[in-house]
Amino acid sequence: MKQDTAAKTMVIGSTLFFGAALTMGLLTALKFIAPTVGEIEYLSLPRVRMVHTNINLFGWLLQANMGVLFWILPRILHTKLFSEKLGVAMAALYNLAIIGGLVSIFLGRVKNVEYGEIPAPFDYLVAVCWVMFAINIFGTVATRKVKYLYVTVWYTLGAVIWTTFVYITGNMLSQMPMVAGVNQANLIWFYVHNAVGLIFTPMGVAIAYYLIPKQLDTPIYSHKLSMIGFWVISFVYVWTGAHHMIHGPVSHWLQTVAIIFSFSLIIPVVAVITNFFGTFATAPRGTRMDGPIPKLLMMGTVYYIFTCLQGPFQAIRSVNEITSKTDWVVGHAHMALFGAFSYYAMAGIYYVAPKLAGRELFSKKLGDLHFWIMTIASVPFFAVLWISGVIQGFAWLNPENTFVETLAALKHAHVVRFASGGLIFAAYFLFLYNVLQTFFGKYGEQDETESVA
Amino acid sequence: MGMKKLDVEKSLLLTAVAAFILFSVGAVLTTVVPPMVDKSLWTTENDVHEYTEQELRGIAIYKREGCVYCHTQQIRKLDSDERRYGWRLVNAPASEAWEYVNDKTHFLGTKRTGPDLARVGGKYSSEWHWAHFKNPRNMGEKFPDRKGIYEKASIMPSFAYLSDDEIRDLTAYIQTLGRNKNWRVDENGNPLNDYEQ
Repeated sequence: MKQDTAAKTMVIGSTLFFGAALTMGLLTALKFIAPTVGEIEYLSLPRVRMVHTNINLFGWLLQANMGVLFWILPRILHTKLFSEKLGVAMAALYNLAIIGGLVSIFLGRVKNVEYGEIPAPFDYLVAVCWVMFAINIFGTVATRKVKYLYVTVWYTLGAVIWTTFVYITGNMLSQMPMVAGVNQANLIWFYVHNAVGLIFTPMGVAIAYYLIPKQLDTPIYSHKLSMIGFWVISFVYVWTGAHHMIHGPVSHWLQTVAIIFSFSLIIPVVAVITNFFGTFATAPRGTRMDGPIPKLLMMGTVYYIFTCLQGPFQAIRSVNEITSKTDWVVGHAHMALFGAFSYYAMAGIYYVAPKLAGRELFSKKLGDLHFWIMTIASVPFFAVLWISGVIQGFAWLNPENTFVETLAALKHAHVVRFASGGLIFAAYFLFLYNVLQTFFGKYGEQDETESVA
Repeated sequence: MGMKKLDVEKSLLLTAVAAFILFSVGAVLTTVVPPMVDKSLWTTENDVHEYTEQELRGIAIYKREGCVYCHTQQIRKLDSDERRYGWRLVNAPASEAWEYVNDKTHFLGTKRTGPDLARVGGKYSSEWHWAHFKNPRNMGEKFPDRKGIYEKASIMPSFAYLSDDEIRDLTAYIQTLGRNKNWRVDENGNPLNDYEQ
């Protein structure tokens, strides 16, 4: 089988799913300002929302990360992917499982697991795919031609190991007949938070650790910071699930543990961020922001530090009282999964798509335009959600305000959210066009000679 | 120390095992240990409502329609929550873990686009719920207090596509919510519904 077929399949598949995810997001936002739009069972607001999060997490982000890492790891390890056939089989099964899961959600067959609504048997198929992915990763590392394991490899190995337990706990163990009530909620929030923290964080950071020095053509700023970041994150991240239930019915001590560890997260995050910014700072000034890739990496890193500073502060009991259960949380989640990790994933795709196609990126200028429109739209998109969250949180403190009045106050915020979301959606098509042209477009020979010259 | 670090970075096995062990400390302490230390997370001496067949069908509909994405089911230990979701001048008691031990499908939730439902059982008549599921923005002549801002600001989807039986099942479940704590009683200790007053 041709080398890198698996990577190519997953990169293209994820790019298409990204558009579907944004469509569902935009429809959700539209229903917040015009609730009677699309009033049929299969497009009711909660189902569209579930489809939106699941496409983003599995169809887009996880698939993009796996595809990009399928290309990166063999290069770092000076070898081939352990089994291209296994990779392609996994990519095919994975896409079928996700499509089956999404159809199930539209039809109302769901689990009560946020971020894990995809029901059996499709969630079990996702788990099977993950085992296939793990075999390929471990196999590739075991057959490497270099001695040392680079940071990217540590994070990928960590993600593979941790995710296995996180996914099984949230999707399978939480559904066991003897698991109920708050105990079930605790297992599910263990999954929800670690899906972001121990799946998308390590995979995103793994990609950035490869791309930033490679793209800027300079060594990583500090090896020691790389190590601190990785080993501290592998210890502290997993404790934080219960911070979703602060002031709620779960044990007080467990909430306190979650708060303390949420704060400890500042340590590995600052180590990683310092390392990334340090690498940017040491790169040659003239070319370090050339094209969409370094821009996406830089902006993703900025969003990463913001989202990771929000997290610890939101976990403080007094701040949580205002922000929790409001639009704020929606803004926070979007900055992590869209702002930070989708930016890294898009940078990864811009980097590997030309390599997979064997020629230059179709258009750097178009990539820049995509970056700027998306970024300029994403700032008000996040900010308006935080602002409306704070308005809502304070409005709830006064029992004189009826609930519907506190909702009515957010009308304008929801319009801005829809409008800026629409702009993000528009910018996506520039990304899609650029990637598809790079793979399938009718250009190339000239560009190749140009780049050689 | 320096030698040791190099060993880890050269070995697939050491890196994998170390990453797993560091992770598993927190994983075990936050998932396996809590129900062992805190038995109220899964068992209780108190009377907890056993769901009927109809209410269980209602739970399945509540899950299928994704109600939890806009409605939490937890009165937090906050004055603002207890007052907002109270009844007349009686504060709603904060939710406790034991109240949920019979919920095989939890709906604690993370987001309140609509109000919390943890203590909503008995607050509105089943007829009210019927009209509200059919059209949250126009509940008809019978509920004149739902005019004005509700028509304009409510963004709840209409569930008119549910069958009559499904609405009955869903309502039966919703009427049980929050009644494990007998917090609204008359002078003889009998449970009271708001709409019966």
